[in-house]
Amino acid sequence: MRRHRNPALLFLAPFLTVFAAFYLAPVLYAIYLSLFIRRRVGIGPAKEVFGGLTNYLRAVQDTDFLNGLKNMFMFGVIQVPIMLGLAIALALLLDQSRGVFMKVCRTAFFMPYGIPTAIGALIWGYLYSPNLSPFNQVMGALHAGVINFLSPEVILFSIANIVTWTWTGYNMVTLFAALQNIPRELYEAARVDGATRWDIVRTIKIPLLMPTLKLLFIFSVIGTSQLFTEAFVLRPLGYVADNITPNLYLYLTAARDANYSYAGAMAILLALLIFVISGPLLRQIGSR
Amino acid sequence: MALKQPASRTGSSDALLPAGSPGNVIAPPPASRKDAGTSPVPDVLRKVVLAAFLLYCVLPAAWIIAAMTKDNGQIFSTFGLWFASPPHLFENLASLFTYQSGIFQRWFANSLLYAASITLGSTLICAMGGYAFSKYDFPAKQFLFNFILGTIMVPSTALVLPLFLLLNKVGLVNSMWGVILPSLVNPFGLYLMKVFWDSSLPNELIEASRLEGANEWQIFWRIGMPLMQTGLVTVALLCFVGAWNNFFLPLIVLSEESLYPLTLGLNVWNSVSSAAGGKPVFNLIALGSLISVLPLLIAFVVLGKYWRGGLTAGATKG
Repeated sequence: MRRHRNPALLFLAPFLTVFAAFYLAPVLYAIYLSLFIRRRVGIGPAKEVFGGLTNYLRAVQDTDFLNGLKNMFMFGVIQVPIMLGLAIALALLLDQSRGVFMKVCRTAFFMPYGIPTAIGALIWGYLYSPNLSPFNQVMGALHAGVINFLSPEVILFSIANIVTWTWTGYNMVTLFAALQNIPRELYEAARVDGATRWDIVRTIKIPLLMPTLKLLFIFSVIGTSQLFTEAFVLRPLGYVADNITPNLYLYLTAARDANYSYAGAMAILLALLIFVISGPLLRQIGSR
Repeated sequence: MALKQPASRTGSSDALLPAGSPGNVIAPPPASRKDAGTSPVPDVLRKVVLAAFLLYCVLPAAWIIAAMTKDNGQIFSTFGLWFASPPHLFENLASLFTYQSGIFQRWFANSLLYAASITLGSTLICAMGGYAFSKYDFPAKQFLFNFILGTIMVPSTALVLPLFLLLNKVGLVNSMWGVILPSLVNPFGLYLMKVFWDSSLPNELIEASRLEGANEWQIFWRIGMPLMQTGLVTVALLCFVGAWNNFFLPLIVLSEESLYPLTLGLNVWNSVSSAAGGKPVFNLIALGSLISVLPLLIAFVVLGKYWRGGLTAGATKG
């Protein structure tokens, strides 16, 4: 048969074309932009001048950027484990359930994922707002004082709650599907060997969930680094600091301050940071 | 490569797994598997915990449903989780569709247009690309695949902001294409498609078809695609969800309100309502939010078994 050209290229071409145009080109452009800084020359308008790594040096000393990173890390060590822990616990519990109850739970838990992040954040904003919140209405009726979920002290937890609400179900359903595929023979064999119920959970279910869990952990970390919509949507309703998440700060730097080059540098740094954190984990999964 | 089992052998969507992952090693599980007796947790406690989380998940929905029966003042004055009486649902519906000369319908149509075109386009190019990675060999194949997957980690701001500048140069800002074209790129969809191709189309079938004289495109389209139903629906659903929920890209690219999708439009209403001197329409926002999530909810319920199978395949293959 003739084979003057590998047909793989034909099938790849559409994907690679849009990929190159709308993914690669912007990233390369961002890298290029990040090497310029805006400098006022005399009394004229600010011009873009080649600045080398100036933007990057500025970023690593920028307290706003660092504050966003700090919040991101706090999310990573607090919210992600809580969310995944909940997901595992719920998946294990749901594994015992059956019938209508199980199906209703499974669909209901997954629903929050299907709601657009912007809309979900909007609704939670109302649930948090001191004027509209049913929680505060109930607490007020009990004369128990009112919590302002949108105050600077609490806002990070409020955002964390929205993220947890949105994603726990998605993670849980994935883990649940993995659990349902464990063959019964394993459980029976373990029982024959005298394993208790907790033993089965500890030595069969959880280890078999580990690969899925690692992947979900990485996705969660990546998701954390991209937090934007929740913070952005809550801004009109309460006090949300400009530097609360790295992505929000980047957006404001670009859209409000029109400092695209600096935003580009910070974005590149953020991406590198995520690569460094997720890289080893991904390699661990890939070499199973 | 060993002959893979067709996906629908056991009738259970959750059995869609490539060989080698837990579950396929011993035997495919029967469809109505129960594992009564392995739980260390008493039944009552289990039901209470699950029910509590259920309430937590539907809490925002409950608020929305209650809110859509109220007029704007009542949203503030009545208890959040119960309805107004008499309910103002129909007045709210009427207001929603006439407010600002019916811009809500415009936004809904936009969301539909964007989501449908993105879903069709992205699913197709991911199917083709995944086919290439699954069934062919070429230089730097593994590197290219890992590279494409690696871009998932790049934060959206690193992509979207310079994308805006580039689109500006070609005159695509503030247009539908500025939203649709960049959204066609879906590295995760490519990954999923490759996984599905691996397990849906046996190489023997491809070889046999070649011997009978079929060309590569015919094999892909006439023989391969029909076998990929679950995979196609899963990726299409994920694309649709992503496109329908798209917020950041349209935010940056669009400045004309009549081009906004629902996510953006409702947020504009929210900003205006919350600002000093703005006219508050929280009841319309609530109703609009509910309507905006209906298509997705319907899709999830109707196509449930597809995305459940798809999630498993994507997560456990590794």
